[in-house]
Amino acid sequence: MSKRVVINPLTRISGFMEIDVIIDQGRVVDAKTKGNLFRGFEQMLVGRSPFDAVYFTQRICGICSAAHSIASSAALEDALKIEPSEQGRYLRDIIHCCEFLQNHIRHFYQYTVPDYVKIDQNTLFQSDHTDYRLPRKINDRISKHYFDSLAISRSAHQMLAVLGGKAPHNHGVFIGGITTQATAEKVVHIDSILQQIMIFIEEKMLPDVYDIAHYYSDYYRLGGGYGNLLTYGAFYDYKDLGTLYVDPLVSSTAKVQVFDERKIQEKIDYSWYESSKTTYKPDQVMPDPDMNKKKGYSWVKAPRYDGLPYEVGPLARLILSGEYEMGISAMDRTIARALETKKIAEIMKRLLTEIVPNIDTQQKYELPENAEGRGLVDTTRGALGHWLKIQNKKLSFYQIITPSTWDFSTRDDQGNRGVAEEALIGTPIQNPEQPAEIGRILRSFDPCMSCATHVYTPGKQMKTIKVF
Amino acid sequence: MSQHVLPPEPMTNEAIASRLTNLAKKKIRDGLIKKKNLVYLELNGCSGNIISLLNGQNPDFEYTMNSMVNILYSNSLMASEGEQAIQRLMNALDEDYILAVEGAVALKNNGLYNIIGSWKGEPLTGLKAAKMLGEKASQILAVGACATHGGVSAAKPNLSESVGLQTILPEKKMIKLPGCPVQPDWFLGTLAHLLLYGEPETDNLGRPLMFYSTLIHDRCPRRPFFDRGIFAEKLGDKTCLFKLGCRGPVTRIDCPTRQWNGHVNWPIGANTPCIGCAQFGFPDAMAPFISYDTTRVVKNE
Repeated sequence: MSKRVVINPLTRISGFMEIDVIIDQGRVVDAKTKGNLFRGFEQMLVGRSPFDAVYFTQRICGICSAAHSIASSAALEDALKIEPSEQGRYLRDIIHCCEFLQNHIRHFYQYTVPDYVKIDQNTLFQSDHTDYRLPRKINDRISKHYFDSLAISRSAHQMLAVLGGKAPHNHGVFIGGITTQATAEKVVHIDSILQQIMIFIEEKMLPDVYDIAHYYSDYYRLGGGYGNLLTYGAFYDYKDLGTLYVDPLVSSTAKVQVFDERKIQEKIDYSWYESSKTTYKPDQVMPDPDMNKKKGYSWVKAPRYDGLPYEVGPLARLILSGEYEMGISAMDRTIARALETKKIAEIMKRLLTEIVPNIDTQQKYELPENAEGRGLVDTTRGALGHWLKIQNKKLSFYQIITPSTWDFSTRDDQGNRGVAEEALIGTPIQNPEQPAEIGRILRSFDPCMSCATHVYTPGKQMKTIKVF
Repeated sequence: MSQHVLPPEPMTNEAIASRLTNLAKKKIRDGLIKKKNLVYLELNGCSGNIISLLNGQNPDFEYTMNSMVNILYSNSLMASEGEQAIQRLMNALDEDYILAVEGAVALKNNGLYNIIGSWKGEPLTGLKAAKMLGEKASQILAVGACATHGGVSAAKPNLSESVGLQTILPEKKMIKLPGCPVQPDWFLGTLAHLLLYGEPETDNLGRPLMFYSTLIHDRCPRRPFFDRGIFAEKLGDKTCLFKLGCRGPVTRIDCPTRQWNGHVNWPIGANTPCIGCAQFGFPDAMAPFISYDTTRVVKNE
């Protein structure tokens, strides 16, 4: 007999998400992921000064705000035909590294650990399920690290603020690089904090994630999904340093290919939107909403690469860079995030040694009457793209495809489910009254619904959503 | 002339938060005040305020959640999920609690643009939850620009018809902490004041005077450049940013002295203009954030 399980809200993520699954004979046979807040950033940006996009788009998300400032700056540089200097790139990438560290450490300890570790002493950590398997000693150690990690993650934001002015929602990232000149004192300040973070990753975060993996090893077999991976490239193609992490690459059925941005499309067959085309390139269409659409079930659109859904994020990057070969599953994703935290700290350390103090990367920028630009960057959760158009020196078009839109997309016209939906299919559920498996698998992607459901266009009255 | 006794520490705004915190800590330890329940609602926004609160150092967030308040509900942090999480939210109604809200309230289509959970099979909108919990709360804190006046969530053309919390709770007294995001001291210091002495003194807009009483411009370290007419021409310059559209002259908040992220920096310290994120009306009333040469330069006078 089949049973329907709805989880709303999925907590310990950014934003609001509902999960709707059908369980038959103890296994997930169907799954839908739905975003639950709408603001309409793309429409808000139309008519504004193009420069404002750098600070405005950060407000899409409180945990990955720097990512949006970087994608937005890159899109403006493309439109204004400005090439940032190498020093500008290094400084901006150092800010980006700080956000990676802050986000990954928070996602692992504050959002993932409570799925596997019983943290007592606080009403916040009262759990709904009883599947806790760690021996007391290990459990207590990781519980303690939950609190230690708050200070470490906070210090990553502190490093970000040294160059970025503040965090979240930094002020330093801008066209051409950043607005701050890195003095020797600032570099040393950042380096000294980074040292503490590296010790934490090595001595606490990595042992903790491997202990969890050991006692929950069944999760190496859960949450796999399609296995298609994509990255826009991260910390790559420096003039002198080459690629420190990963070039723009995709892989499907184990064949790795060079990424080609012309193959990105969005589909809206199962999302609450309408337009003349249900499949379009990101710079072509801003579709209108249509809540009456029978097939529609989510505000999240469906980006596809060469017609297929692709997973983005730390695991995709590590596999595509050739540094991880274990597999694709919920646990691999979680381990990859911790391994990438170490990798990012090392990249940041390297970039810091390349900084020449007191270089000003700013100039007075002139806006063109009309222009187009796009900025594609790989950020903490994966591939992030901003596409913009300028008319009469104002923004006339803005489209954003976030990493969580890739991972939490709806189905498409070819019948392909979204990446996370597919990852749930076949999952054995021990106790449908306490389906701990679903949350663990979904959180392995680090979902950000604030980012994925930033889009909304005005339109018809919305019907009441029946949840059951 | 009476003798003046100097206080043991500088009477700056920065010191206020730490003094309040230390006193609250001591009184809680001595059993003189009791931990209070806190319900933390995230509504239509970016969850940037809860992330900023995790950055708190004075007191730190760990201390706050372990020793000062008993957090009954937080979408970002709680272990529980689904209807069981919402059950915990409903249980809070039977107790005494402080309500903190970040994010705007989306009014469009009776609140369905922001569903925060499911309750008895029906969608629980942010609008419904904020009204229900706001009516019963012993104190209310509107945390961040979206909660105080709609903020970025209500930016033109405001498709979700987002409003600040006060709009849906017109009769309720609330403390407003604008900022995008809130600086953790503004929230945690206010919380410590609530525990120790009750509500802090506020201005006519509901903002605690201990944080929101002085214009950025009046304490800006670049004020001497302004007074001498030396202005930055681009971001990255180290002189007065007024002509790039700095909103310091209209923004009441203590960023110049408190700064951010453990006192390491602030927007003007990063050679960028203040965009007025702690001022009512942000963002639309503060836009454009960046412009070059906002005033005419008269040469050869």
